[in-house]
This record gives sequence, structure tokens and C-alpha cells, in this order.
Amino acid sequence: MAHAVKFHPSLSLLEQYTEGTLAAELSLVVAAHLDFCPHCQQLRHDIEADIGCQLAQQSAASADGEEWQQMLQQILSPDAATTTQGSVETASSTESETVATHIEQGQHRIEIPRSLQRLAAKRKKWLQLGGIATAKLPSGDDNHLSLLLIESNTEVPLHTHKGLEITLVLAGEMVDEMGKYAAGDLIINTPDHTHTPKNISHEPCLCLSVLTAPLEFKQGLTRLLNPLQRFFY
Amino acid sequence: MLDRCGLTSHHAVEFSRQGSSMIAQQDPSPSIELGQWEEALNVIAVHRDKKMYAELFKYFAPRLRAFGIKMFGNEQQAMEMVQDTMLNVWQKAALFDASRGCASTWIFTIARNVRFDMLRKKQSRKDDISADDLWSDGDYPEQEGSHSQQWDLYLIAEKIAPHFHALPPAQRLVMEKVYLDELSHQEVSEQLSIPLGTVKSRIRLALDRLREAIDGPRS
Repeated sequence: MAHAVKFHPSLSLLEQYTEGTLAAELSLVVAAHLDFCPHCQQLRHDIEADIGCQLAQQSAASADGEEWQQMLQQILSPDAATTTQGSVETASSTESETVATHIEQGQHRIEIPRSLQRLAAKRKKWLQLGGIATAKLPSGDDNHLSLLLIESNTEVPLHTHKGLEITLVLAGEMVDEMGKYAAGDLIINTPDHTHTPKNISHEPCLCLSVLTAPLEFKQGLTRLLNPLQRFFY
Repeated sequence: MLDRCGLTSHHAVEFSRQGSSMIAQQDPSPSIELGQWEEALNVIAVHRDKKMYAELFKYFAPRLRAFGIKMFGNEQQAMEMVQDTMLNVWQKAALFDASRGCASTWIFTIARNVRFDMLRKKQSRKDDISADDLWSDGDYPEQEGSHSQQWDLYLIAEKIAPHFHALPPAQRLVMEKVYLDELSHQEVSEQLSIPLGTVKSRIRLALDRLREAIDGPRS
């Protein structure tokens, strides 16, 4: 990627992601950021090395007991592959699954990063409203994951968040009161932020968005559009 | 290449510095030969050597169990994770690449992925995000960027001193050796008996932490 990513996840977010303790939807946004950002890839690698070192240095009782012997025998037995491999296979079977390397919406065809390709193939239908289109991706109950396509010269109505809103720009450009964002940039908005993201460029802007609670629109007429929140959520 | 990763048998080294209150923690880690596990994995991959695997199992399985209990909060799931992880280690040993990191790092990443998919499976969310989506092995481009070099210079300046104390002890120690005592990374690695890669990792993590302390979070 020629573009240098400017907005990164915090180190603690990266640490939680690397440990595997961060919520799956948030982890996915971080993973997609890493697809754009060699700097954070290196940090992830460093954190993994550090945890690996801790694992090796941990003191632990020796594995002499009966239970360990049994486990060892089971692993080494020729039929281990068929008896215990269930969960291993779920991971690798995804390789044969459909992936979407591009997002297609209207006349646009936009390339998406590797970490999203499997899920993007499972997206729900696009919902269009003015210059904004959104499509949900499969996610859990607490956090909502969706793709957001903002046409050029389109403004997203002023809104605040009841929870956390994390947006990753996948393609194109966007501006808000805080700055200008391009592919790979990660924007985190807490309930204290009010912002008006806009796409003032000539290209469509594709984002990945995680919301942890419904949006609440704040201003003038857009207040009447509050049912909109369901659209974004 | 391999010996970067091994832990030495001197891990419980206690070193002293004049006028400094830095005291290395006594670490009860057992003695391991340099690069032992990296080589073991290669032997396991090439010769399907069960005896070698048993050694590796004996060392890592109980440590994974302790790690799993911390993560899951219960022993049953921890043991399930250990079994799945160690089975993967046996079956996928050929995929291990010592040039990309230590054996323990590789094993940790397998355990993390196994644990993640275990939790997802328990919630029966098959359509959902999987460990494969989140932690595929991308390329790890070496960061020779101007970025960190500029920062090195900047950090030597006195203004970071107050933030230094807030660093995790292990990172602070490495930073002191490199920036105050002006030791090379190799020397620090030998003095502290930690792998060279770990010295470099800790420096990068500490630099990033200091950058955050000065600049605010990077988001």
C-alpha cells in the first residue's frame, strides 16, 4: 500500500488482539488494519514473541502423571487425526470456503483486505439511503459489524454514540472534525464524541464499522430521522 | 539462526549495578539448551520422531495448561486446549519456521487460535469470525523505517525520563542497558540471558509505549 497509515490502534488494543482476549468483532477491525499497516504487524510479532517467551519461562509441574501420559499416547496414536481433530478441521475447512476479494455495490468494485474476504462473502443485502449504503456482516449479539459505502460528496448525519464506534477506512477518503482519513486509518469514537464524517473526494469511500450500541442522531431535522439509527446499527 | 531463540540455563542470573536498585527477578525456569525446541520441532517434522515429541510435550504441555487455566479460569477447558494445541504441534511441525520466531512463540499462537475457536464453537457461531480471519500469518516486513530511527534520537533526549519509570520492568531494564549503558543488543542479550529477538521486541514495545506517553494514544 503506497499510502502511509496515520491512525493506529492503541498499544493496549493491539496487545489484547494479539493475546486473543479482545472481542471478535473488534479483533477483526484490528486484523484488517494490520493488513494495511506493516508497523502494527511488526508490533504484533513483537508482542507474540514476548508472550511466547513468557510461556516458555513459566514454571510448571512436570508432565509425569497418568493424565499426561494418556494425552501423549492419544496424540501420537495413528487415529488421533480422526478422533480429536474436529476443532482443528473447523479452522482449516474455511480455506475451501467462498471468499470475496472485492466488494461490489452499484457500479463500484472495491478490493478488500484478506482478513475480511471470507466474511464479506457472507454479507447481508445492501441497504441504500441517499449516498450511503450499508451491509451487515455476520457478528455476535453485542457488537455489530457492517460495511459502509459513502458516495463522493456525501455527509453522514451528525451523530454521537451510546457505545464505541470503530471505523476502519478500507478504500477512498473521509474527513470529520478531527482530521482526514484514508485506507488503513482507524477511527475510534467514544460516547463523548460528536462527529460528522464526510466524503468530499471524487471516489466512493468504503469503511468497516463496529458499533457497540445504537447511534443517536442529534441535530435539527436529522433528529426526526432517528429511526435511522436502526439503519446504522 | 536457531540459537537466537533458546533460553539459556542461566536464567536465574542475578546481576547488580552500582548505585542502581534494579534487581532481576529470580526466575525458576529450568535449564534449556540454546535453540533446543526449534531444533526439536525440525527433527519432529522431518523424522516424525515420537521420542523427541514426547520431550517437547513434557516441557510445553504443563506450561500450556497453566496458561490455559489463566485464560479460561477452569482446568477442563484448559486441558482441552492443551490437547488440541499439542496435537496441532505434532501434525503441523513442518509448518514451523525458525527464521520467523521461537518455538514457544509458534506454540503460543497455535494455543491462542485453538482457544479462540473453542470459545466460538461453544457459542455455536459457525458463520462467524474465526481465528483464521484474525491471525493469518501475513508477511512480517522488517521495519527499517525512518520512523523508529527518528524516535531513537528523540528518546535519548532527557524529556522522556519521567515516562521511563512507567515502563514494565522487563522493558525498562532493556532500555536502560541500551540507552544509558550503551550496550549493544547482543551484549544485553548475553548479560540478561534472554534471546536477542526478545531484546529487540522489548525495545520496540518500550519505544511505542513511550511514544504513547508523549503523544497520547495512537488512535
